[in-house]
Amino acid sequence: MHLGTRIRALALASAGLFVVAACGGTTAAPSLNLAPAAQQILRVNTGVEPNSFDPTQQSYTYEAAVGRNTFQSLLQPKADLSDVQPAAAKSYDVSSDGLTYTFHLQPNAKWSDGKPVTASDWVYGYQHLLNPALAAPYVDPFFDTTIAGAANYGNVDVSSASAIDSYLSGLGLSAPDANTFVIKLAHPAAYFKWVVTLWVAIPLRKDVVESAAGGTFASTDTTKAEVWANNASTIIGNGAFKISEIVSKDHVTMVPNTYYWGGAPKLQQVIYYYISDGNTEFSKYQTGALDIANVPLADVTVVQGDATLSKQAYLYPELTAFWMTFNTQKAPFDNPKVRLAFAKSIDRNALATDVEHGTAKGLASFIPNGMAGYDTSDTTQSFDPTAAKALLASAGVTASTLNQFKLLTRNTTGSKTINQYIVNQWNTNLGLNIQLDVIDSKTVTSRIRKGDFDIYGPDGWGADYPDQQDWADIFVSGSCHSLNWGCPTLAGYDALVQKADTELNQTQRNADYLTAQKELIDQAAVAFMYQPYEYDLVAPYVHITHTAFDDQYAPGDQNYATAYITAH
Amino acid sequence: MAVIAGRPNRGALLPSRLSALSSSRAGSLTIFIVRRILWMIPIVFFVILITFFLMHLAPGSPWDRSGGRELSAVVRHNLDIKYGLNQPEYQQFELYLWNVAHFDFGLSYQYEGKTVTTLIGEGIPYTATLGVLAFVIIVPLGIAMGVLAALRQNTRTDYITMGFATAAASFPNFVVGALMVVVFSVEMAKWTQHAFFLPAADFGVDDHLIMPVITLALLPIAYTARLTRASTLDTIRQDYIRTAWAKGLSERLVVVKHVLKNSLIPVVTTLGPTFAFLVTGSVIVETVFNIPGIGRAFVVAVTSRDYPMILGTTVLFSVVIAVANLVVDVLYVFIDPRVRLT
Amino acid sequence: MALAAPAVQQAVDWEVAEQQIGLWQDAWSRFRRNRLALAGAVVVVFLVLVAFLSPVLVHFGIIIDPINQEVTHIEAGPGQFGHLLGTDELGRDTLSRLMYGSRISLSVGILVQGIILPIGLAIGLAAGYFGGRIDNLLMRITDIWYAFPDLIFVLVLVSVFGPSLLSIFGAIALVNWVNLARLVRGQVLAIKEKEYIEAARSSGSPPIKLILKHLLPNALGPIIVTVVFGIPQAIFLEAALSFLGVGIQPPTPTWGQMVFDGYEAIYANPTSVVFPALAIGFTLLAFSFIGDGLRDALDPRMRR
Repeated sequence: MHLGTRIRALALASAGLFVVAACGGTTAAPSLNLAPAAQQILRVNTGVEPNSFDPTQQSYTYEAAVGRNTFQSLLQPKADLSDVQPAAAKSYDVSSDGLTYTFHLQPNAKWSDGKPVTASDWVYGYQHLLNPALAAPYVDPFFDTTIAGAANYGNVDVSSASAIDSYLSGLGLSAPDANTFVIKLAHPAAYFKWVVTLWVAIPLRKDVVESAAGGTFASTDTTKAEVWANNASTIIGNGAFKISEIVSKDHVTMVPNTYYWGGAPKLQQVIYYYISDGNTEFSKYQTGALDIANVPLADVTVVQGDATLSKQAYLYPELTAFWMTFNTQKAPFDNPKVRLAFAKSIDRNALATDVEHGTAKGLASFIPNGMAGYDTSDTTQSFDPTAAKALLASAGVTASTLNQFKLLTRNTTGSKTINQYIVNQWNTNLGLNIQLDVIDSKTVTSRIRKGDFDIYGPDGWGADYPDQQDWADIFVSGSCHSLNWGCPTLAGYDALVQKADTELNQTQRNADYLTAQKELIDQAAVAFMYQPYEYDLVAPYVHITHTAFDDQYAPGDQNYATAYITAH
Repeated sequence: MAVIAGRPNRGALLPSRLSALSSSRAGSLTIFIVRRILWMIPIVFFVILITFFLMHLAPGSPWDRSGGRELSAVVRHNLDIKYGLNQPEYQQFELYLWNVAHFDFGLSYQYEGKTVTTLIGEGIPYTATLGVLAFVIIVPLGIAMGVLAALRQNTRTDYITMGFATAAASFPNFVVGALMVVVFSVEMAKWTQHAFFLPAADFGVDDHLIMPVITLALLPIAYTARLTRASTLDTIRQDYIRTAWAKGLSERLVVVKHVLKNSLIPVVTTLGPTFAFLVTGSVIVETVFNIPGIGRAFVVAVTSRDYPMILGTTVLFSVVIAVANLVVDVLYVFIDPRVRLT
Repeated sequence: MALAAPAVQQAVDWEVAEQQIGLWQDAWSRFRRNRLALAGAVVVVFLVLVAFLSPVLVHFGIIIDPINQEVTHIEAGPGQFGHLLGTDELGRDTLSRLMYGSRISLSVGILVQGIILPIGLAIGLAAGYFGGRIDNLLMRITDIWYAFPDLIFVLVLVSVFGPSLLSIFGAIALVNWVNLARLVRGQVLAIKEKEYIEAARSSGSPPIKLILKHLLPNALGPIIVTVVFGIPQAIFLEAALSFLGVGIQPPTPTWGQMVFDGYEAIYANPTSVVFPALAIGFTLLAFSFIGDGLRDALDPRMRR
């Protein structure tokens, strides 16, 4: 999952299920105490306008919040994240060699215009996603040695319709009958069941896309292929909601898809506002104009100290981890001892409790709390300033060498505050005088991509799905300069991760991923820092089931199908 | 007195409209305006030229992410092809000019399948409404405060306007806006149990415009007031004004007819660009009050390197500013017919 | 021409006056008599002293180090935990940050105006005085300059020159001279048609003398206001630009950045935005008084 422009946009929650209920109830009572239909309106802030309403073109959490409600993927994660559960597919079978996935679709599934969802719509949707000319930003997990015939994605001549068409028809996607969708893989991948839960993997209606474009069009035509996604009336999805109104730069309104196979939602309207300023969002919630709002970092103490607001606040961990990246191509950061010294000289707990006011938790390991692979037994990177100083001394690096390095920082308020703290920790605990370099976010990206930096952070990852493969792949050497900006040399890591990725035995996979994680920590591939928490306000009359991982952006956003407003 | 009676023309004392519009004058004015409108073509060309190449020089590509995993090289390559960025820059530039000549400003990179024209068209009504309303407040308030302060120089009136201007200039408008929201939205809602308060950010609600307009107008009012005060003081000290005063005309008449008219030149000069800035949007006010205008759209376009959107908004702004400055120059003639335009 | 006679007389009077009392001596004696202007000057001297002395005060431990973080006392209110004006989002002392911040904010505020003023004056005077093609060319350039997206320019500047205090002065000055240039030009257009200028011109004064002695003094009021008002704007622009990577990087405090950071905490600790804004306000007030005093002191009509 791509991290959004605000730290808050990282929200991938973890940890179990909790229910936010009115009238003190913790589970849905038999009598729902529903507010009248006219009041069944939920107003939420997503902060940023989606770049597209076509889920295959979405990559940020605030976009997927809309995409996941208007379209539905084949499977979805279970509430406890232990496995997948049925969604648009009623069930699925995997062949014994792990190469063929057969999805049995929900027999009553209907589009928001009432037409039945067929397996050929799924084939068309996946082909739309995999059309190289459309350059979908989140397509990698599908072509990258997963779906059979997809590996050639990068070599297709996108100016030739016949080349694209032959590539798409050669993919391992088929519809043997109207209710069966079959995907063939290039190699066994135990994690593939998670890949199909992604918001980009959805069905599409060929007739709708083409009529919006004014007729059939060549597969090279990138403009016509997206016309449908810019008009509420042609965004016809298979999700619980459909878009009724698009007000550019301000909000999008969703209303129930009355044909939804799982039963029409009780909420009559869900409005996603695009308020980018944290203070504005907080103010708006306080005047009662928002029902769910994120609390800006500076206002956490205000909420905690307010008798009314503190009762409406919910704190829960995100499936996200942050770390500091060292340019290991540059001496002395090629020396693991130096990196470890830096990692060990940061008081992560003070960062989490004081600077972040408890909306984070120190994490000296890789995979965050709430998903498989979370393990804090390796304390190599834990805070120990004395040991850190000793490491630096044994590496033979002087302060004057280190003082010429800078900590590259994105110009978001969150990064700036955290990095001022971190640099102060290094300077205090290691006796250094390292400076910050705060610049425009895109400039930072262009610099780290070229390797033009010394230390950079906080950088991080939010889980796409709760499988270690999604995390371990980040640090394989082949993905250098994609998120693995520091490019550390890790002996044996690549082979270990590749083995675990294709392994079908889950116990063996877990063991391999754990060994791989240990190497990341011990070699200080990066300095692991913290796991962020969401701190949100939810109005007392909002009844949502919050199933952690599903909730990509705002609390309960994956369960608005079952959410409702209680009488108030 | 000779100073008055002997003036080469009476424009300084009497309404100048008639003399400004005398037939030959109007003719040359028309030629002047037409010439200046034609000048906009090279202006827009140079603005596009500079912006285009600066934009490509700026580090970071439109496909860079602002955090997290980068797009794969394959996807970036295909995106370049999709939006024509694989061609040499001079070819892209030529193509852009050709399209602009046909009023086609291209597709936004950021918003899939949306044209720049659509995006600007969606935002401009909000931005322009806000800007025009603010301008309508700024002009009378700023000028009135400035004239009053000058006439009552070193009195309480003068000091109050000075205090106001200082406060307005030293608290940036996002702080003023946020403080107003705290007081008039949040605290007011609490005191009145949600009976009466101003919306914090709710474009479309009736009273949503009050706070953004005030926020937007404060600094220009302060500046206009100080500017008017300074130029009014300059004018008051001119001999012919002293004379007019001595002639026993009522103070008000002196002020309106002589002082104001003669002190307006610098005010009009700065109000032109101010108007252009107001109607093309303030990123800060639009962010604090969450207004879907083009001021914020431009900044978002820059930070996300949405090239066509950057160019589109810049071209729009260059036309607005050129027109505003043209209006200013024409107004000079109306204010003081002796001013010669070239 | 008989009708212009009084104006000629006026011009002659002034020149005679100037010969009798030195221009600057005269101006200074009138400036000194202006109590508000003097008070403004005292405040500015005080601020400059603070700017110079704050590192010394930090060195001898008289004030808290402005980058010292007390993370257990974040966003403390005034007077809490031994912080007279409270602390910021990392528990740093607001008072010492304000004092230290004056170093950069004052130099940005004042020096930038020092760059803008000659550029704006030269271009505005040239355009207004010579008129015709020169005016048209210069003003079309300002039209382009106004429209030109300075945000992108700054991004390019950072990537080429990297962060430095100099690029901050350059960037702010470069985007701000246009306003002054157009203002000066407008003033000159209006004033140059006035009788006393015509008279001076017909009496054979060279252009430079005409501009310096007659045009400029009569156009001074609005120019001074614009320059003085430019000071807080430059202070804020510095903060906005630092955000993009030009100039001063955190944790070095500047007033503008303190206002920006204080805005985030407007609910938690409103004073953290008020104090730096007040400091900027006092600076502006002081310069406004000085500006007014200067204008009066240099006003040719007041000199009799």
